Amino acid sequence: MRQQYAWRSMLLNGIMAVVAVLVILQMVRIQASAEAEAFREQADTFRGGYRTFYPERGEIYDRNGHLLAGNQTVYEVGVDLINVIDPHSVAMAISVNLGKSYDQVFTDILNPPPGISYLVVDNFASSEAVAHLKELKKELNEAEEPTPSLAGLEFNPRLKRSYPETALASNILGFVNREGRGYFGVEEKYNDLLAGNPVRVWVPNDPNQAVEIPRVPNGTSLILTINRDLQDAVEDILDYSLNEYGAQHGTIIVMDPQNGEILAMAATPRMDLNHFENYGAIFNNASEYNRAIGMPYEPGSVTKIFTMAAALDTGLVTPNTPFLDTGEIQIGGVTIRNWDQKAWGVQNMVGCLQHSLNVCLTWVAIQLGPQNFYGYMNRFGFGRLTGVDMSGEAAGRLKVPGDADWYPVDLGTNSFGQGLSATPLQIMTAASAIANQGRMVTPHTLYAMLRDGHQFNVPPQYAGSPITTETAATLNEILAVSLENEASAALVPGYRISGKTGTAQIPTPFGFYDFNQTNASFIGWGPVDDPQFMIYVWLERPTASPWGSQTAAPVFSEVAQKTVILLDIPPDSVRLNTAAR
Amino acid sequence: MNTTNRLNHAYSQAPWRVQRQWVSIFLLIVLGFAMIATLYLMVTSEAAIVGREIQDLRLAIITTEHTNADLQTELARLTSSYETQRRARELGFRPMKAEEVEYLYVPGYIAPKAAALAAAPELQPSAPSTSPEYTQSLLDWLGERLQTPGRGLR
Repeated sequence: MRQQYAWRSMLLNGIMAVVAVLVILQMVRIQASAEAEAFREQADTFRGGYRTFYPERGEIYDRNGHLLAGNQTVYEVGVDLINVIDPHSVAMAISVNLGKSYDQVFTDILNPPPGISYLVVDNFASSEAVAHLKELKKELNEAEEPTPSLAGLEFNPRLKRSYPETALASNILGFVNREGRGYFGVEEKYNDLLAGNPVRVWVPNDPNQAVEIPRVPNGTSLILTINRDLQDAVEDILDYSLNEYGAQHGTIIVMDPQNGEILAMAATPRMDLNHFENYGAIFNNASEYNRAIGMPYEPGSVTKIFTMAAALDTGLVTPNTPFLDTGEIQIGGVTIRNWDQKAWGVQNMVGCLQHSLNVCLTWVAIQLGPQNFYGYMNRFGFGRLTGVDMSGEAAGRLKVPGDADWYPVDLGTNSFGQGLSATPLQIMTAASAIANQGRMVTPHTLYAMLRDGHQFNVPPQYAGSPITTETAATLNEILAVSLENEASAALVPGYRISGKTGTAQIPTPFGFYDFNQTNASFIGWGPVDDPQFMIYVWLERPTASPWGSQTAAPVFSEVAQKTVILLDIPPDSVRLNTAAR
Repeated sequence: MNTTNRLNHAYSQAPWRVQRQWVSIFLLIVLGFAMIATLYLMVTSEAAIVGREIQDLRLAIITTEHTNADLQTELARLTSSYETQRRARELGFRPMKAEEVEYLYVPGYIAPKAAALAAAPELQPSAPSTSPEYTQSLLDWLGERLQTPGRGLR
């Protein structure tokens, strides 16, 4: 009996062992099969994935802390095709709230491109539109009927650049496109700083494997030297002046000549930076985006101050050096005449600048000689970039002896600002040497950087000393006296100003000058004894008057009057009285 | 021989007693496994809950950052140059002219040059937020204790 049980037991054990071995064999076979490999890959796919965490783009402030460029939430609206119950309702909701074509969306949902399970409908839907869609989806979810339903409609928030001041300072700021890249101005120049560094990490879907995601530091925020209120005022004056004087375009820059801080820079045209897609309709080419730095032109008589600076600095002339103006002078076989074609008789150097005599300045340049003249022009930075921290700067052109297209007559024409080209900012940079005791500043827009709660102020930089302190003081005085003698429209009541007008003929593409149109300019700074602002005005092709003294000079005065109010610069009498206490 | 058998008999345990001991050992092992399994389940479920909370908090951080950015931009829009001027005009203000400005001498006053916008320093981005107690092995901890001067084992 016991033997019989033993056999039965052994048989049962054997069967179970065989079954166990078969089960193990089957498990091994399944694990080693091709299908298992596919399943493993599928599992890996759903286990998690690499995600890129983009930092929030740094903000841009003006010097008083007003936000010029910030960020705003927009949504990517998409349709998860697997979860869609009611394509008609989804297409209708998208059409009504996001302005998309119902037919297009409906067709795309029903016949998506092969391999697509998620359909992006709108990349930059506004918060308001999405809030309405979310509300609608929630209401329909809570309803008892399965349809209508917005199941499958998904919203993913992201940040996009936003400019609360719309078009204000648009030429300085530049813009950020939808891919997050900065174009023009500060946005392009400091794109790497503003954008920060994205971090790519593997994120598991299994919450049991929660990994610590590294903190992504935001992009660096920037504080600009721009004064928002002054910028706004200058833009208003520019727009008014274009209308008043019938000019095609214009540029006005306000800079602190002692440290190169650009306080305002207005140019036309401007655009609402929140609608940068209009760029192509507003600008013909990139150099037009900011004429103050991107569009060199023949500035005319404003450059006479540099010719005179060179002559004073070499000791060739003094303010009282006499000059007999006969109304014309020969150079390189070409006769140079004054702007009014008249002879002004005996003049000194103050009179030469006061009456803006081409003949006198040509004589000064001849006395200097090409080597001295172009040596000084080079030291003043003509033909070179100023290094301003905005994208899109152009260098202008200064032909020098030895260049294939330089002729001896160029020495004469260059002395009064024809035959060379420079941007308004280049001329300001050069003139800063005269206003700033011989020391030339590097213009800049960056005042400070904000990162991790710390503010790093940017120190001013200087670009050499082309002239001595004495020369700068002498020329400063000459220019102030010339304006006063002339009773210039540029004068600012209560403040002593130095400055110079410029009226330049415009070269045509055929190599001749257009005698009917001019570029009117004015550069000036003040107060003379302690310059705190330097202003450049350029009006292109004014029709009310061709002369800088009748167009750009009064605009300068208007800007200067606004500047002294907004920068709290008291009149000379008050300031000097205060200093004397 | 008899003596030996007697001794064996005297010291050997009853079969039911041996059986009970084996059963007890088996039950102890089962109980141990059950405890380990329970602990494992508790820890993993806790970790899963915390992981889900972390995911939710991460989302909340992103949402808050977005809301902050939106509010800041909205505030800037409401205080923009255009809006401020519009409201000022509505209230009857007008731009001041140079001759209307009256300057007052204030001894010792130094006008601010520009904004100081630096906020309180944020947390160090690279600072680990997980306490070392949760990441160090026993050997790491021992090594750190021995290598840190003035900090013996406690």
